[in-house]
Amino acid sequence: MEKFKRIEILSNNLTPSPGIVQSVVKYLELPLQMAEEVRLYWIQSERKLATEVFSEIFVDDVLQTAITTLDDSYNKRDFDFVVETSFKPGVTDNSARSALDALKLHPACRGQDFKIATGKMYLLKGKLTSVQVELLSRKILANELLENIKIYSKDSFLKSDRFTNYTFPEVKLEEVPVKTYSLDLDDHELEKMSQDNLWALSLSEMHQVKKYYADEKIKAERLKKKLPSEPTDVEIEILAQSWSEHCKHKIFGSEIDYIETDNKTKTFGSSKIKSLYKTYIKGATNKIADSGKADWLVSVFSDNAGIVRFDKNIDLCIKVETHNSPSALDPYGGALTGILGVNRDIMGCGIGAKPIANTDVFCFADQENLNKANVPLPEKLLQPQRIFQGVHKGVEDGGNKSGIPTINGAIFFDDNYAGKPLVYCGTVGVLPQKTTSLKPTHEKNQKPGNLIVVVGGAVGKDGIHGATFSSLELTEGAPATVVQIGDPITQKRVMDFLLAAQKQELYCSITDNGAGGLSSSIGEMAAQTNGARIDLKKSPIKYPGLSPFEIMISESQERMSVAVEAKEIKKFLAMAEAYGVKASVLGEFTDSGFLEIFYGEKLVAYLNLSFIHDSLIPLKLKAKWTGPEERVFWHKKETRSTLPNVTQKIFEQLLARPNIKSKEAWVRQYDHEVQAATLVKPFTGKTMSGPSDAGVVWLYPHGGEENQAVTISCGMWPQISHYDCYLMALYSVDEAVRNAISTGANPKKMVLVDNFCWPDPVLSQKNPDAEYKCAQLVRANLGLYEAATTYSMPFVSGKDSMKNDYYQVDAQGKPLKISVPPTLLVTAMGEVEEVENLVTTDFKKADDLIYMVGLCQYQNLNESELSRTFLTDKVKPEDVNLDFNFSLYQKMYQLIQNKTFSSVHDISDGGMLTAVFESCLGGDLGAELELSAYKNNLLPLLFNESTGRFVLSLNPKDEKKMEAELKDFNLIKLGKVTSDSTLKINKDLTWNMSHLSKIWRGLP
Amino acid sequence: MIRVVVICGDGLNCERESARAFELVGAKVDIIHINQLKSLKNYQVLVIPGGFSFGDEISSGQVLALKLKYQLADELKNFVESGKLVLGICNGFQALVKLGLLPKPFEPRTMTLTNNTQKQFLNRWVDLEIGAKSPCIFTKDMATLKLPIRHGEGKIVFKGDESQQKKYYEELKKNHQIVFTYTEDVNGSYQKIAGVCDPTGHILGLMPHPEAAINQLLMPYGEKKNTAGPALKIFENAVSYFQ
Repeated sequence: MEKFKRIEILSNNLTPSPGIVQSVVKYLELPLQMAEEVRLYWIQSERKLATEVFSEIFVDDVLQTAITTLDDSYNKRDFDFVVETSFKPGVTDNSARSALDALKLHPACRGQDFKIATGKMYLLKGKLTSVQVELLSRKILANELLENIKIYSKDSFLKSDRFTNYTFPEVKLEEVPVKTYSLDLDDHELEKMSQDNLWALSLSEMHQVKKYYADEKIKAERLKKKLPSEPTDVEIEILAQSWSEHCKHKIFGSEIDYIETDNKTKTFGSSKIKSLYKTYIKGATNKIADSGKADWLVSVFSDNAGIVRFDKNIDLCIKVETHNSPSALDPYGGALTGILGVNRDIMGCGIGAKPIANTDVFCFADQENLNKANVPLPEKLLQPQRIFQGVHKGVEDGGNKSGIPTINGAIFFDDNYAGKPLVYCGTVGVLPQKTTSLKPTHEKNQKPGNLIVVVGGAVGKDGIHGATFSSLELTEGAPATVVQIGDPITQKRVMDFLLAAQKQELYCSITDNGAGGLSSSIGEMAAQTNGARIDLKKSPIKYPGLSPFEIMISESQERMSVAVEAKEIKKFLAMAEAYGVKASVLGEFTDSGFLEIFYGEKLVAYLNLSFIHDSLIPLKLKAKWTGPEERVFWHKKETRSTLPNVTQKIFEQLLARPNIKSKEAWVRQYDHEVQAATLVKPFTGKTMSGPSDAGVVWLYPHGGEENQAVTISCGMWPQISHYDCYLMALYSVDEAVRNAISTGANPKKMVLVDNFCWPDPVLSQKNPDAEYKCAQLVRANLGLYEAATTYSMPFVSGKDSMKNDYYQVDAQGKPLKISVPPTLLVTAMGEVEEVENLVTTDFKKADDLIYMVGLCQYQNLNESELSRTFLTDKVKPEDVNLDFNFSLYQKMYQLIQNKTFSSVHDISDGGMLTAVFESCLGGDLGAELELSAYKNNLLPLLFNESTGRFVLSLNPKDEKKMEAELKDFNLIKLGKVTSDSTLKINKDLTWNMSHLSKIWRGLP
Repeated sequence: MIRVVVICGDGLNCERESARAFELVGAKVDIIHINQLKSLKNYQVLVIPGGFSFGDEISSGQVLALKLKYQLADELKNFVESGKLVLGICNGFQALVKLGLLPKPFEPRTMTLTNNTQKQFLNRWVDLEIGAKSPCIFTKDMATLKLPIRHGEGKIVFKGDESQQKKYYEELKKNHQIVFTYTEDVNGSYQKIAGVCDPTGHILGLMPHPEAAINQLLMPYGEKKNTAGPALKIFENAVSYFQ
């Protein structure tokens, strides 16, 4: 018997994949009738193995048969084509990893080495041409960046030599020895060199590098170390990573000349801003901390994530990241590595925190809208629906397989996300306040002499230049190596191990390997001891042939860097092995002032740490605020329809809008309650379908006090970015906070996380309107500062992604640019003092009274989902009164603590009527609204989306008391809850709830 | 004191809440990494909790089953034969089925768990009926229960053609081994089966998560009260069986 085997796992009975057919028919309009998926394994063993061994491992004999030779097994299937997909060399193959685990468990396989690859076959039935099959393979079944596609007609499949002929995907690399770069070049050549090598270093940064190497002292040092006077590739790559926009946030640290010429929007006056980050983000937090209103802040802006203390026993940390560019290229892998990456931020926060909740927010173009508008996408861009499905699946696998509940999120649609989707992934973690030996857990304690150990997976070419790439705009020729697939199980093993090692204090410091790989993680840790020395040859690699610089900057996933005292190393490594985790000692921390990188015996990089970390000259930018602009899509098509003259129709159409309709079908694919601590789940009420405003995690199961919990909520309002990003920022903060308040969070103990995703605000030839976008950025910061300081809610962490543009030159040579609308995600984490006082959005009882509270004039139609759906007169968003809102929030908190309300639901997309509808739907109840006093301004009343408002329901016996408490807050009585499952307004407007529910859920 | 071992590692992830459930009813619980689990001698209850062992690759529970089979071999056999209790929840249930401990230990396999009809992972709360005549130790004196399901491969199917499948199903039914039934079709499972026990009632496997409903606060709606949840009884039954 041969030692190579191809195994096809065929179900005994036909098991079609209707999802594939649906996608093909819906998005490609091709007549595919049936698709069936068949799993594939290719295995090469050292000794021959009996078929029974493979069967035991790979086949569930109740359902499946293993096909290993050409036989008549496929005769009972009716198909026309077969598409086979397999991974390209070097792509993470998680199925192969588990298959190897499985083989090694079998006694017949012990002591053997295997080569394994996995793939899939799709049996397709339908009247298709081979060109169409090729198209659907590329568009639906596989991603050519990562996978090979092979197409068989039925005949060729049945006669193919596939069981004997196969070449394993192997990365074949020639190791490129360390080389040096001469910087003795003119400016143009320097710029070109940076571009060609994907360093993303600006000219002034290249000059900075040049200056360093020209320094006589440095020259002498290098001579002593027998290093060339010119930079080695390892050195310049380290600098490129460390100085990348992704790692250094140069735009947020830049000096900005802000000029204001508009006076219709709020005026701040022209000014020179030293650093947006220091002035507004850190500035807001410092101001709040100085006022003594946030003595529960433990560590902010200095670690992987912000740490706060709401509980007597434990601390909480939170971090939100974006993973936009990778998700544009490979939605699944990009989103998966996004969520696993932010989990690692938490695992590397302080002395290592345990992730307890995820929050995920996505922005996509709306496929149906693009179809309707008949807008062809640029060829290189993936269809929005495919991005959506891939991103969703990536986040699902990342969260579910790591055992971390996804408790909060949002999905937002706007056609201007067609060029780059936004994928925000956030994680909350818990830390004990003290280690076993009573040291504070938020401090990292690496010391010179500590060993540098990398824990987790091996290094490959994947993710090389990820950090610098995301600092460049997306173009047609983006390299495939920036895409990678995460491995949640390897990471889960790492997490289990590190948490156990932490209990025994086997390590003294930890950080994650993310953007920039070792160059960032070791570079940052070395800053504390002032030096590090590592040998790249000691890093485990996925395949031979990697150059030293690639090992240094590879972003291969699932790796954490830790500092271990020499006396603990034996125990540490033994424990890693017991947990099935790789751990490799790469070197040690020093206090030499230098980062010394060896490759075996040879010194390949020797860089002054203060040069790496502190020598960057701030960028200088110009910002010019010229006032609001019109909302324009990249495709320039009008997608709004005429406003119906019947309110009935308006509401029904609004409910079906992508930003309003139910996301339940998607959200239920996330595990939102693993760890058994989710107190408010994404959907609530008797029907378990009413959307919640915030997710709530109980801290008691995580070591906290018995009555303590935290809310996680978010706010985002890019709908009005075209008008004024100052106002947009206020809306975003208010929405995040409002969602927390309506669930029962304490406004005095709430923290914020800011995540900016912006179109490029740096001027260049192809980016002529940069100054306007920079002004939008300034104004968003002004808004953030004002909202945070008025609410006394500090920022504890944040991140920015500043190049969310897609550029392409079309066939006629005409440039096309698709930029995202300036988008700011605000995440709020609020304390819940008493878990029994939590309140949810669903109506609870018939005859409860329904009220609306919060500031709004209800005179005109404002910018809202209504004005985005239908052609209306020119509208502007309503202003925000932060002081008013904050007083209301404090009052609301007090009333919620007194259990005044049966339900509280915030008013946002779709306005008050949508909120009432959702409350009815959750509670399986109806409502009767008496609004005849508003006959002349009914639409504003029903659909306004201004901030700071809630729909409340309460027992009639508490009415008087509540009215007295909220009388100063624009309280409006709307009506009452009914048991008859209809939604009525003024007797003349009636909807059947089940009818509305169908529309909202998108059911026929 | 009753001693419970909950295994963890390789992608399992519900070990803590499963342990907590047993601790709440007075058991002494050890969470032990599967790589370190060599002996079951000191324990009365073995729990294989939920999670994604080995990433659900090949098929869910499959690799974990191989690991249990070749690593614990006789230990597991002795444990089962001595009338001690085994509880497999979700991924744990899948592993017990793939291992062949359910529905009938050490017999040729006739039942398995596969992809939900929706071909998707699904997290939702379901209503369950509990077989009144079931010999299952864990569900003594229980009739209904509300629990969350959180799985992508929870559809129970039997071997063979329709008549064979029916035969296997009837056999389970006759032995009262069908412990949990969904009140509605949630994933295409044969006759809405959600959980089964072995003929003696000592081994229970179920797709829904009882450890996720041990406190009233964790319920998906209703008053937020920090009191015992309905599923705690399952763990109580296990502990009181030995008292």
